[in-house]
Amino acid sequence: MSFKRFNKQNFIVDSANKFTAGKISKRQFLKNMGLAGVGFSAYSAGLLGGNNRPFFGQMAHAAENTTPPEIADFLREAGKPYAGTTIRYTSEATPPTNVLNELKSEFTELTGINVEIEIVPLEQVLAKATQDVQGQLGTYDIYYLDQAWTSTFSPDTVDPVELYESNADLAMPGFDFDDFSKPLVEGICEYDGKWIGLPFDIPIFTLMYRKDILEKHGIEVPRTYEDFTKAVEMITAAEKENNIFGTGLQAKSGHYSLECDWTQAVWGHGGSIFGADKNFSGNDEAGIAGLEWYQNLLKNSPAASVTSTWDGQWQMGAAGQIALCQSWAEFFPGWNADDSEVKGLWEMAKPLEGSASLRSRDDVGFGEIPGWGHQGGSSIALSRYSKNQEAAWLFLQWACSKDVMTRCTLIGGFAPMRTSSYSDPRIVERKGLEGAGTTRHLDTVKWTIDNVMASEPDLAIWAGVANNEIPTELGKLLTGQDYDGSAKKCMDQIAKLVDAVVDEADLG
Amino acid sequence: MTKRALPLRWLTSEHPLPWLFPVTSLLIVFGLYPVLYSLWLSFYKRNPATRKEKFMPSWNWEKLLSDERVWDAVQITFTYAFIALTLQLVLGLTIALILDSDKRGFGVLRALMTLPLVVPPAVTGMMFLLMYDSSFGVISNSLYSLGLLSPSTPILGTGSTALWGVIVADVWQWTPFMVLIMLAGLRALPREPFEAASIDGASSFQAFVFLTLPMMSKIIALAVLIRGIDLFRIFDYVKVMTDSGPGTATETLTAYAGTVYFKSANFPYASTVALATLILVLITASLFIKIFKVRF
Repeated sequence: MSFKRFNKQNFIVDSANKFTAGKISKRQFLKNMGLAGVGFSAYSAGLLGGNNRPFFGQMAHAAENTTPPEIADFLREAGKPYAGTTIRYTSEATPPTNVLNELKSEFTELTGINVEIEIVPLEQVLAKATQDVQGQLGTYDIYYLDQAWTSTFSPDTVDPVELYESNADLAMPGFDFDDFSKPLVEGICEYDGKWIGLPFDIPIFTLMYRKDILEKHGIEVPRTYEDFTKAVEMITAAEKENNIFGTGLQAKSGHYSLECDWTQAVWGHGGSIFGADKNFSGNDEAGIAGLEWYQNLLKNSPAASVTSTWDGQWQMGAAGQIALCQSWAEFFPGWNADDSEVKGLWEMAKPLEGSASLRSRDDVGFGEIPGWGHQGGSSIALSRYSKNQEAAWLFLQWACSKDVMTRCTLIGGFAPMRTSSYSDPRIVERKGLEGAGTTRHLDTVKWTIDNVMASEPDLAIWAGVANNEIPTELGKLLTGQDYDGSAKKCMDQIAKLVDAVVDEADLG
Repeated sequence: MTKRALPLRWLTSEHPLPWLFPVTSLLIVFGLYPVLYSLWLSFYKRNPATRKEKFMPSWNWEKLLSDERVWDAVQITFTYAFIALTLQLVLGLTIALILDSDKRGFGVLRALMTLPLVVPPAVTGMMFLLMYDSSFGVISNSLYSLGLLSPSTPILGTGSTALWGVIVADVWQWTPFMVLIMLAGLRALPREPFEAASIDGASSFQAFVFLTLPMMSKIIALAVLIRGIDLFRIFDYVKVMTDSGPGTATETLTAYAGTVYFKSANFPYASTVALATLILVLITASLFIKIFKVRF
């Protein structure tokens, strides 16, 4: 055991003892564990009674209530008939949801409408929403919908644009649908010409790097996949003894996070998930090249990569265990938080460019958008089966209003959905910050959204395929359970399974 | 006599039906109805895109038979149940023999044995998940120190070790159950045969093999049956610790049913897989009862 590891274990034990003795708060305990690289999942955090997604990091100083007077007056008046109503919303513990959970009391004070936000892991959000729409129960008034589920749930939600136009009494003044980023609307919440909800969250893949490590080894910031591979291999070779790896992955078998990593690799190598003929195309030459590249990355990542989702990958970065990472831009604020050991050392760059050109949208199927930056955005949508639709609609407008969305970014540091937020003076002035609340990465995020954002296909069975067949078979390959390390064999099997599901649903 | 009084009198009479009604109705609502509903559901083919269900009685059952993941899951379920049951039985009987004493302090030890049983299985799964952590987990680090495992092969992230990792958690939690049953059996055994054997010069080992085991056989069979049925339904540990992975290395039948239900939202097929588990349990348990002549 190295001295470094010994120290780390002592630190963990001390923190655990202090926590059980009540000497430090649960929040502090989780932070310590994050710094020590402990693999707490959202589930384990939940067992400790907390709801914060670990990679959220610490909140910046809570922004003051700046609700414009005309909006406040509107909410007071429009909310009167629904005072005392309780609306329910289930979501993953994403940064925007956590912030909204902090701010929701402002909405209740104005309208008298209570809001219950049920925060659970992503797969449970899907299960709960699925059960709700299957029985048309209306248990939840608002659904949190990952972009991969857009088409699945499109029949179950109310189009907010139509509702806004048809019900003037409940239309928030100056809501401005045109202010939402066009690529986000298209990639996250539009299906078949209809808005299924409002854009709410945009985790998107960008490149993040430790400038100190790159400088130490004289490595330029990678721009292409080839540069990245060389840099990752060089750093692993030089720093492995110090428990620092070139990169870290979210390669947990059977989890959606692995599927996200895989799609990024496939698009980055000029491939796509589906061809124009609507058959799975991940097993063509470009697709295989992408997966083989990813297999190689695994050799240059911490062993915990195969048991990690996005939480684990964030912890690798916060603990200073990795030097380069092409993953969710939402990691960035937490990695630069005041309590991070690597505060100010992480920087962001544009996502890697592939050597092969991207496939055009005409060459792929089911509305897939190949690009350099995988987006995992989400929307919040009004349930068609809600029994409190008017009250929920007011909340939805408040939550996605210009002021609240800008304040969410100020607190959480994640990318805003509205273009006006980027030019808000409060956002601009924080570009100079190094620690919590920094917005210095947002220009890169915006560039990625506007220029190279990639979106997964829109088909009603995608939620199932992306969470089951694809990451399960990839897991078998990456952990050596099957396929003898052959990316081609694995992809052929996935092609067989996915095409069968598509045929069974009469979508082929 | 008023009309209202008649049913009231019947309810308080000695007729057996009013007395059987509460339990029977509970059994029907919570036991029979879900099974029949699942069976009915399994006769429908669901289109996940349109969410429409079509009556096709053989669709899901044919799919089940040709689904490779089902057969893998059956194999893993049997492997899991066999290994866990064997370990729990051997350890349970051994610990029970050690604790079968009236010496001072043994009562406290017997009481302490019940502690793992009160921990919810999901929490047990979390505990072991942390102990297996490759960075600081006490189990992982001990195995690294002994050279039995390498940090590059995390216990739950490696196909060859993940199932063992889950089994250890199960054995930790449920061995005390075996201990308690065995202890109850051991303490109820008559003393006379052992005294006679001792006078005849039988060793402790001979007494165990020729007296204890035969006299305990019915208790052992019952304990194996109860735990065996439980093991076929294993879900919590797998869900929390590995989510059936890596790949499908720890995917038992119930875990697969959960995946089909929660991830693919194919409720009819998930019901079919769940019913297949029930059928498997019934067949295995019936065979066991017949072969080992278990009497209740």
